[in-house]
Amino acid sequence: MSVYQVNKLLYLTDNDPTFRRRMKEEPEAAIKDFKLSVEERDALTSGAVGKLYQMGVHTFLLNHLYRYELFGVNRDNYLSRIREGMPYDRRFELGNMPVQRFIKK
Amino acid sequence: MAKLVVAAGVPHPPRLVFEMQQTPGKLRGEALMKQVREQIEKAEPDVIIEVDSDHFVNFFYNNLPSFCIGMAEEAQGPQEEWCPMPRYTVRGHVPLAKALFQYGVHDKFDLAAAHELRLDHSLTVPLHFLNPEMRLPVVPIYTNGFASPLPLATRCVALGRMVRRFIDAWEGKERVALIASGCFAMDVGGPLRGWIDTEWAETIAKLFARGQYQTLARRATEDRINAAGNNSGELLNWITVAGAVGKTKPLFLEPDEGNGYAVWKFE
Repeated sequence: MSVYQVNKLLYLTDNDPTFRRRMKEEPEAAIKDFKLSVEERDALTSGAVGKLYQMGVHTFLLNHLYRYELFGVNRDNYLSRIREGMPYDRRFELGNMPVQRFIKK
Repeated sequence: MAKLVVAAGVPHPPRLVFEMQQTPGKLRGEALMKQVREQIEKAEPDVIIEVDSDHFVNFFYNNLPSFCIGMAEEAQGPQEEWCPMPRYTVRGHVPLAKALFQYGVHDKFDLAAAHELRLDHSLTVPLHFLNPEMRLPVVPIYTNGFASPLPLATRCVALGRMVRRFIDAWEGKERVALIASGCFAMDVGGPLRGWIDTEWAETIAKLFARGQYQTLARRATEDRINAAGNNSGELLNWITVAGAVGKTKPLFLEPDEGNGYAVWKFE
């Protein structure tokens, strides 16, 4: 497992502006330099948040997928996706996402 | 001799800064932050020691200490592009940070030290409210409240006690404010986002209000913390501060939807 590499590329997305730009403009190319398993690459590029969560990617870093709208993940589908593969939990009914509020530059 | 004159605990939702600017006077958190700030101002501190957990901004899995002292002369934040609040430069207090680092190591705490810092929202949101214009210098103490394995809560109590002994023993004349940044129980983008473990949050608030910090630390196991949502390890910052306040009970502790706002006075 190279879940560290998935964590790392999400960490860089939030913390390295140059890498973030690449992730927005050419995400498939941007992740080529990371040693990902086929399973990890597929889960990432298909925006399968639930699979990444089950693999052990840290939730603080998974959040960047919706914050920066990568691989089809956004605020509206993030919660349903991260719950994929989990048994139903009544607490899901209370779930909601905060509204995205960027300061315009 | 230096002196601990006030301690406090507050949460750090960036949303609070943003929504206050949009609709001032509406949020309970805004009034509570003001209440905490007034008590800190009354105590007339010269320096802030802020106990905080990073969110993969200053630290990453390549090097993630359980406890770390911030030694930077100054640092900027919040660094996160998505964070809707003003950007600040925060001054450090290098002599105090160095002395704390040395005192801690000699006291058998194997601390890390960071001479460069990238501040995240969790460090800067409390300062936005409690340190207007970033007037006071700030020494951060980082606890790993977010990436398993978390430090033991009982160890955080011991860390807080060490910090208090350091303040009491240090030759400087500083009046110190000690601030914990973080929530009691919350999920911020894990599968339980939106749910609050009210039973745990209420237990925490009750034990803090009664001054039963040891009992709280014994109950705050990593399993219990994780069951309360992915962000709930920030309680360790509060527990560290509780270690420093000794037997003193809070002047007030106001719970607020998985968060808490509290002040301890020492004069």
